[in-house]
Amino acid sequence: MTLRTKAVLIILAMVTTVVVASSHAQDKFRLKPGAHGKVCLNCHEGFKEKLKLPFLHTPVRKGDCSDCHNPHTSSHGKLLSESANRICFSCHEGIVPGKARSAHKVAVEGNCVKCHDPHGAKNKNNLLQAGNDLCSGCHQRLAKEVAGNKFKHNPVEKGCLNCHTPHASANTLSLLKSDVPGLCVACHKPDVPAFGKAHMGYPVAKSNCSSCHDPHGSGSRGILWGKPHQPVANKMCTQCHLDPASPDALKTRKGGYDLCRGCHNTQMNEILGRNRIHWPVVDKVSCQNCHRPHASRETALLKGSQLRLCGDCHGDTIERLDKSVVKHKPVQEGNCTKCHMPHSSNNVLLLDNTTPINLCGTCHDWQKHSSHPIGEKAADKRNRNITMDCSSCHAPHGSEHKRFTWYDVKMELCVQCHEQYKR
Amino acid sequence: MRSALKYILSASMSLAVVAGAHAAEPLKLKLMAPIYVDGKGGGIKQPEGVSCRGNALVVADTGNGRLLRYTIAGDNWSPGGEIVLPQLPFPIRVDVNSKGEIFALDGKSRRIGRVAASGDFLGYVTPAGEVQGNIVPRSLRIDRNDNLYILDVSSARVLVMDPSGKIQREIPFPKEYGFFSDLSVDAGGNILLLDSVGKRVFRIAKDSPETKPLSKSLDEEVHFPVAIATDKQGTIFLVDQNGNGVVFLGPDGSFRGRRLSMGWRDGFLRYPAQMCISENGTAFIADRGNNRVEAFLVTE
Repeated sequence: MTLRTKAVLIILAMVTTVVVASSHAQDKFRLKPGAHGKVCLNCHEGFKEKLKLPFLHTPVRKGDCSDCHNPHTSSHGKLLSESANRICFSCHEGIVPGKARSAHKVAVEGNCVKCHDPHGAKNKNNLLQAGNDLCSGCHQRLAKEVAGNKFKHNPVEKGCLNCHTPHASANTLSLLKSDVPGLCVACHKPDVPAFGKAHMGYPVAKSNCSSCHDPHGSGSRGILWGKPHQPVANKMCTQCHLDPASPDALKTRKGGYDLCRGCHNTQMNEILGRNRIHWPVVDKVSCQNCHRPHASRETALLKGSQLRLCGDCHGDTIERLDKSVVKHKPVQEGNCTKCHMPHSSNNVLLLDNTTPINLCGTCHDWQKHSSHPIGEKAADKRNRNITMDCSSCHAPHGSEHKRFTWYDVKMELCVQCHEQYKR
Repeated sequence: MRSALKYILSASMSLAVVAGAHAAEPLKLKLMAPIYVDGKGGGIKQPEGVSCRGNALVVADTGNGRLLRYTIAGDNWSPGGEIVLPQLPFPIRVDVNSKGEIFALDGKSRRIGRVAASGDFLGYVTPAGEVQGNIVPRSLRIDRNDNLYILDVSSARVLVMDPSGKIQREIPFPKEYGFFSDLSVDAGGNILLLDSVGKRVFRIAKDSPETKPLSKSLDEEVHFPVAIATDKQGTIFLVDQNGNGVVFLGPDGSFRGRRLSMGWRDGFLRYPAQMCISENGTAFIADRGNNRVEAFLVTE
């Protein structure tokens, strides 16, 4: 056999393999002629109604049920040929870019059916509901706030997708179509005189609009966040910033806490006068580590909920808390300041009282008549320099044991000190 | 030829075994007698600072608002008296220079006080000459040449002053970091910064203006480190306040192990605050929550 003959034979064999393989893919279940797109409906009669819907998923419209379902057997529910949270990606790959800056949780988790009907729907893109109703299903708190807002933001009323993308955004936060302020100035032209007037002549065209404005609407004029800083509400920007005509107009008049001290002098003196400072208070960023300077939806102009805010630095504590089976109620509620003073304290761990006993006693008055000796006269047998207090037995944030004790009450806790009873 | 090959093979295997054992086995901390009292038998309360130099051990007895001195003699130590100063009502970090002068950071005034070996207050540390910006020290360290290093969180920098108070260097913090709680100077004169929030160590090489990450983020190994110390061999020790332990890193920042855990009894920790390693290799830890200073012999 010549070399040429051999080559021809190999090519022929390859072509044959490809042809056979592709024809098999086209009709992998060897359906009878005319059965394609119909055979499933012989049993699934109710599905015929579904096919009358105005918007159908392409494989459904083509009658390719086996694109998603295996007619014989499957390891997944509903005879799906892949797990429910992965099957959509087999065709719709790239819906969530690998390095997306923000992504919709349901999309990342492959929970596509939260928004889409996999077969067909009355709404475009097989969406379960039309317009903002779909988003409101999950984002109920926001929807409620939006509905109750006195001052509405027009694009929100028209549809969430005016500003947001539904699945993921490669370059922006919060699934925004483009970054702030670019997104905002597309409608709110900075060169319009009214824009300058509304911002007291400050050059804010490149600033972060959502530092002051709630993009979803608000109860305040100018859709400022629910709790604006008083100088902002009073349009007294010059209280903190240089004159709007100055070349560096957005620069603040002073840095760090010195700026805030201008108004909050008494509070600052109290904070700085205590023994233990919460160190971020006196660092370069200072008050703005935790507070927003212009407006916030949280009380005290906080940047976020306490659990989130404190957890930004003390993530380890939050992590341990999450793992605790039994949690102390204030911790569970994210009320860190129930026990800790956020700025400074005279007490260890920035506790809001001189001793753990006094602190716990502010809520738990039963401890005052507790039968187990606690207090200055009750020595801890484990350590000559320690006296018994609530934290001798209880882990203040939470633990894996009932009543968040450090150790199991039945077997381990008491014998930590009363060793003679150890079994 | 064959015997030479055999020799090389067995030597390389032995090396691999030794190196493997070294990498796998973290340093050990052998418990020694903890320090519970001052020279008069009075108890220590919430100590946050501890420093050792030569045979001197200084404790910031924070809860009692005083400094305590001890003398180290071999594996023992004896009380040397207390220093109570109205200028330093709440000492939280301490270090000692070659003259036996104590530099103590006061948590309330957030100033560094200088105390003579006699116990007299010599004044607050102020840089000689003009320095831009506020100075709020979070921590301090003195090197073997008595240069003072200040971790200035207000102006986000490290200030290095010579013994006369003249600013030698001013190194800005890097762009990306969480919160720096402590600094140390290793035997080679390199500055180490501890990022408590980012859970990593940064290094400023001697005479370099740049701050570079030395370790990766130690998220898996440490909870909330608040203090850093080094020994003669270059081992880096991190005090894990919320994890109630000590983490060891190699001179290159690699994780070498972790010791100790939460508890009240000797050998355990509750919210430790600072540590130092004496010249004979004893680690002293200000065990704040247990009102004592723990001591451990660091061994291989």
